[in-house]
Amino acid sequence: MNKFLKKFLAVSFVFVLTFVLIGCGDQSKGSDDELNDGGSIFHIYAWNTEFQGFFNKYVSDEKTNDPSIETYHLDGIPVKWTIVTSDNGAYQNALDMALRENATANEENKVDMFLAEADYILKYVNTSLTKDIEKIGVDDFSQAYQYTVDIGTDRTGVIKAASFQCCPAGMVYRRSIALEVLGVSEPEDVQPLVDSWEKFEDVAEMMKAKGYYMTGSYADTYRVFSNNADKPWVDENKVVQIPTPVQTWMEQAERFVELGYTKTEGIWDSGKTIEFAEGGKVFCTFGPAWYYNFCMGPAMGEGEDHVGGTYGDWGLVAGPQAYFWGGTWLLCPSAGSNDSLVAKTMNAFLNNEEILERLVKEESQFSNNKKVNAKVADDYDAEGKGNGLLNGQNDTKVWVSMADNIVVRYSTIYDQHCNEGLQTAFVKFLKNDAEINTKEKALADFYAELLKAFPNLVVPN
Amino acid sequence: MTRVVTDYQKENRNAIIKAIVLRVLCYIFLCFVAVMCIFFFYLLLVNTTRANNDLQGGRFTLMFSRFFNQNFKNLFTKFKTDFDALKGFRASFVIAFSSAVLTCYFSALTAYGIYAYDFKGKRLMEAFILAIMMIPPQLSSVGFFQIASRYGLKNNWWILILPSIAAPSVFFYMIQYLRATLPKDLIESSRIDGSNEFMTFNRIVLPIMKPAIAVQMIFSFVGSWNNLYMPSLLLSDSKKKTLPVMINALQRTSWGNIDLGCVYMAIFLSILPVVIVYLFLSKFIIKGVTAGSVKG
Amino acid sequence: MKGNKNKKNPSYAKWGYIFVASFFIVYFLFTFVPQVLTIYDSFFDYTDVVGTLETEVSFAGFKNYKMLFSRNLRGDIEILRCLGNTIIIWLIGVIPQMSFGLLIALIFTSSRLRLKGTGFFKTVFYMPNLIMAAAFASLILALFGTIGPFHTLFVEKGWIAQTFDFISNKTWARILIALMNFLMWFGNTTILLMAGIQGIDESVFESAKIDGASSIHVVWDITLPLLKPIAVYVFITSMIGGLQMFDVAEVLTGKAKNNSTRTIVMLINDYLKVGNYGHAGAVSVVLFIITGILSLIIFKTINRKGESMS
Repeated sequence: MNKFLKKFLAVSFVFVLTFVLIGCGDQSKGSDDELNDGGSIFHIYAWNTEFQGFFNKYVSDEKTNDPSIETYHLDGIPVKWTIVTSDNGAYQNALDMALRENATANEENKVDMFLAEADYILKYVNTSLTKDIEKIGVDDFSQAYQYTVDIGTDRTGVIKAASFQCCPAGMVYRRSIALEVLGVSEPEDVQPLVDSWEKFEDVAEMMKAKGYYMTGSYADTYRVFSNNADKPWVDENKVVQIPTPVQTWMEQAERFVELGYTKTEGIWDSGKTIEFAEGGKVFCTFGPAWYYNFCMGPAMGEGEDHVGGTYGDWGLVAGPQAYFWGGTWLLCPSAGSNDSLVAKTMNAFLNNEEILERLVKEESQFSNNKKVNAKVADDYDAEGKGNGLLNGQNDTKVWVSMADNIVVRYSTIYDQHCNEGLQTAFVKFLKNDAEINTKEKALADFYAELLKAFPNLVVPN
Repeated sequence: MTRVVTDYQKENRNAIIKAIVLRVLCYIFLCFVAVMCIFFFYLLLVNTTRANNDLQGGRFTLMFSRFFNQNFKNLFTKFKTDFDALKGFRASFVIAFSSAVLTCYFSALTAYGIYAYDFKGKRLMEAFILAIMMIPPQLSSVGFFQIASRYGLKNNWWILILPSIAAPSVFFYMIQYLRATLPKDLIESSRIDGSNEFMTFNRIVLPIMKPAIAVQMIFSFVGSWNNLYMPSLLLSDSKKKTLPVMINALQRTSWGNIDLGCVYMAIFLSILPVVIVYLFLSKFIIKGVTAGSVKG
Repeated sequence: MKGNKNKKNPSYAKWGYIFVASFFIVYFLFTFVPQVLTIYDSFFDYTDVVGTLETEVSFAGFKNYKMLFSRNLRGDIEILRCLGNTIIIWLIGVIPQMSFGLLIALIFTSSRLRLKGTGFFKTVFYMPNLIMAAAFASLILALFGTIGPFHTLFVEKGWIAQTFDFISNKTWARILIALMNFLMWFGNTTILLMAGIQGIDESVFESAKIDGASSIHVVWDITLPLLKPIAVYVFITSMIGGLQMFDVAEVLTGKAKNNSTRTIVMLINDYLKVGNYGHAGAVSVVLFIITGILSLIIFKTINRKGESMS
């Protein structure tokens, strides 16, 4: 039996070795200067079908989004989608594996283009496995918002990613509550009252005095602060440093909870969203167009008459600071096989004015093209069109006026973990957790979780 | 004489009352537990009748709303790309049914092999199988995914079905069941009657294991039906996706698309067939069990 | 038929190998090799490649294991804390699960009680097993969230503050997870135990009845002992399942990173999410060792008496 066991172990060892050796194979970067074309399948990776819909309708040969069509084509090449949802990091893990093996992958598996979000795109921008898109023919960024280009640019200044949407975000507030507490309700009159954090807090005090909450969640303002960071989360020596605006947020959140200016809910909790319904006591929230168009269900109420909602009682202003939330970027692998198609797609969504105008008007998107957005904003003004939830306000115009002010600097690959982690830990403190009951303990909790993901970081004392 | 009769009648009456009280208590207890179980299905059903805007508020309600038909229609039209009910049902059914059959048959086979025969390494093998039962699936999932990708086995149902041949916990159940119900001399006597080993297993042992097999068929089927993790990693072709993968896609779709009413409707529709199959199999189990327990 | 027993048995022995072959072949190909890969990974340092697309990992020996057992900045040894969480939540759930399961199985199979409608009840009790964890969690959230009926009621009665949250409270979160686990699995337990009881020969019960044994006596001295092999199976698989607790706990408390409800498999998942296969593999190996030790102890002590019926 000993002999048998030895043989068995030997065989398994050989098996394992074979895998390991195959795995640690040569990582050829693929051609960086030439166009890789001629692939028989245009293979795109994404985490949901949103972009697929836009691609089918505006860029594909079929120019429609019809579920009965089995396969779409671009320039005659069939398009294949691999959609892996992003829970538990499944999308990134699948994408990473595919990219690492792309050079040696067969036609079916080779990735030709993939999508990424701002929260984690840096990983894909700073690697040799993605291509300089200016080299494949995507070089006109004159109309793109600068922050979208910055996010897609690597350390050496090479542009790797193009965004097809711009998601500027601002403050939406209840007009009736504004009228009652502040005496004004039109956006032009409300904005001067909230255009700085000090003023914002003054308004919060007034809200509290009249029995309203300023915000429904202590985390509503987080992203506004974190987007405007003054330094990276992690410096060159791998030391974690909390950006000053985030520290300000922590202080503000603590005060707001203490003084009762905010409800102690998370951004997506029903305790917050239920306040958007009729009779709700929350004055404002923060978000981009997709937030107030699709995530404020209770505000929409039921049916055509919006029964039980607060439809038409909202207004949009830029708020204390400009920021963005969301967005999708397109990237091209170095070892892909359909670079021209990638370029065609990217250019369509960056500069094809006809397509982009339809994108904005028919899909309620805000495109990544200043000229188109401005035109649509003017068209809406001329036609008297606006957003029903916002009482007919031309929100496109608001975005046009503030999107240029969005600045994103100091991104690191640790951002997603740091932003989410700090909030999660600090929230425990705000909720009077039995264990995490001081700010120091909250920070310790945050660092402990961060080090689980990135053990090589150094934590300040 | 009269006294003895009265005592006997009293005793009898007491016994009857006790029996009735006991039965009533049992029924009350069972109903209480049943309500706890049904309650969540009731909530689920209520949610399939609510509109997305209402569900986003997260309000708790016991009252039905009016959107059942609309949610049903939307699921089959708006969400055709994310949720193809017929294809998903077919995928889930084929994978779950095949896995269940393979698991039960081969686990019974292996358990019988260890139970009925004496051979070198038998104890070690049993201990080994029990040992691997304790290994969490996470230990092998990453490696399994890498192997499946590397050998082009993604989007292939077989990769999800074949591994169920080796199911340590079902093996464990079968062997414990054999230990409790199969006398070894039964095997001897069937050999004497001229039956070969496979015939003995298929014709004599399997029928005795009917309750165990029926039970594990259900569990295995349901476990496979509800499995999300590995299928979501391996099945990215929309023609091959199973129901849980599709439902997950519905929940994670873009903001403009999300419709919680349709999500609940999809969940409800994917539970329904399993409940029906289970109700159907239940009767069959009861028949099989009573047939098995009447021994000559 | 008289024959040389030594000559007969070896020839049957080979059948043993034939019968078990399929299991081991499939296991080797689809599970063993991947597991070895994972264990292999646990000896390498992935911390430099996490968050990047690099693949160069250096050999790390037992460094990952050492890190797992050192104190983190919270002051815990995470893996031990997760183990504690897992066992506690499991215990809270398994006690009602086994007792309800056994009680109901006995009630259903009792020839004395002869209840009607057991088919209906069996179906209903099993149904919670069919709900997906995510759906179940959102229903629980609707019930116990900050705008749910329980919260409103408790605040009204003055038992909790308005800002109290069941889901992030250490005790309540554990109870809710245990409740969900209980509801999802007690039907399963009932059915398994029923099948076990129904496998016991009728003649045993008949002779006990003839001997005039009371029903409690029958249950205690006959049913339960004969049920032992199945009960052992149910208990051990419940424990293994408990140690591998993931779905429900993750979907209810994962996002909020509740330190008191993080189970071991949630910890593994935390590492897998970021691609830290070194630590993930190490925790998996530790879990395996712990499960093995616990199961062996239980299995040996309970199954010490003879196994097969003769």
